Amino acid sequence: MAHTAARLDRATAAALVAAVLMPAAVALIFFYVPSDADQGYSQRIFYFHVPIALTTYTLFAWGAVNAARYLWTGREALDLQSYVPMHLGVIFGSLTLITGSIWAHISWGTWWDWGSRELNTFLIIFLFYCAYFMLRFSVEPGERRSRYSAVYALLGVGLIPLSVLAVRLAQDALHPIVFRSNGINMDGSMFLTFLVALAAMLSLAVSMYQVEMRGKRIDERLAQLRRLAREAAA
Amino acid sequence: MNGRALAALVRKDILIELRGREVVPSMAVFVGAAFVLFRFGLGGANLAGGARAATGMLWVAIVFTSLLGLARAFAHERESRVWDGLLAAPVDRALLWLARACSTCLFLIAVQAVALPVFWLFFLQEGPAPSYPVLVAAVLLADVGIACLGSLLAGLASSVRAREVLLPALYLPFAIPVVLAAVRVTTDTISPQTSGFGTLERLGFLALYDTVFALLGWALFEYVVED
Repeated sequence: MAHTAARLDRATAAALVAAVLMPAAVALIFFYVPSDADQGYSQRIFYFHVPIALTTYTLFAWGAVNAARYLWTGREALDLQSYVPMHLGVIFGSLTLITGSIWAHISWGTWWDWGSRELNTFLIIFLFYCAYFMLRFSVEPGERRSRYSAVYALLGVGLIPLSVLAVRLAQDALHPIVFRSNGINMDGSMFLTFLVALAAMLSLAVSMYQVEMRGKRIDERLAQLRRLAREAAA
Repeated sequence: MNGRALAALVRKDILIELRGREVVPSMAVFVGAAFVLFRFGLGGANLAGGARAATGMLWVAIVFTSLLGLARAFAHERESRVWDGLLAAPVDRALLWLARACSTCLFLIAVQAVALPVFWLFFLQEGPAPSYPVLVAAVLLADVGIACLGSLLAGLASSVRAREVLLPALYLPFAIPVVLAAVRVTTDTISPQTSGFGTLERLGFLALYDTVFALLGWALFEYVVED
């Protein structure tokens, strides 16, 4: 019981942090940060799109690390800890594609730009993770499903850098490059807003992770109790 | 690594194919029919002088054809219970994957030995053509990557329900980088672009792709056949 209470605290703490940071980020984005010189007011979607995209990558990386740990140790709990970030990653990934598409429409006048490196790379990775779900739901729950999911998740670790490279090799740039190798192309207030928005998205992801993990654990316990009840009745 | 075991395993796949003729002829017919469909679907006028569009189609056709072969990759192992024997053999599990990748690669090369001349006949006779050495190099490099990754994915899909539907879904996201790089490397030899990357970089990318998935296949296959 003490264990549950400790977990509850962690989940509540994450939710509280998200509840503070999220409105703060929205306030900064709409009332504090100056409009972009080139793209005007609408460029503010950058403060949603990029943090969401970075959160998606973080979630996928987290899922892949836990997949590797699962194959290495065989610890059952790691399977869920790999699956849940992937699941959230697909949600955040969909948001990245939607916000990216809106941004593309505003700045380039087209809902999808096949010349954009980041959008196209992201699309490949997104397709990959959708396939991950198809695989996961085609295998009966159990050790084999965990193993197969982990193997496929790790293949994604190979695919991500290769997609980035392939899209770069195949195309010419159009997407705005904000982060260059020689520094950041933003002023102080913009960078501050960006950092707060990123922290807000990450904390939102963490609290969603905690909630989903708790739901999954409750599901498992419920299934266990039902099994026991059936056995007792029989 | 056990060279003799590898040779025996590859020989087994080739013998099965030579006796049953299940995979390679179907793939060859499929790719030929796909070319005809593309030709009629896009129309001659849209393709006139359009070797660029044609090479794009070639790569799409190669990817889909390879799927056909991969779908049968572990069919005998599953249907005729060959797995029981293979898993009892005193060889590394990764060797089973490597043997399957080698035989898949050989089948792909055999199909392309038919497909590429047909492709030339249908699309490249008139008008500009890509550089043939670059095209062949790209095809061979892509084959290695497709075989390495595909054999691992076919292993994953082989013991899953709805495997025929699942394998394409698992495999196609991985085919996108290959198609991206391969199409550019072949079309750039028709009309070279001044900006961007050169032929060697793009062929190098295909080699890198092969290396990455060869390593991952080698490392991960034992988790696919643990049952």
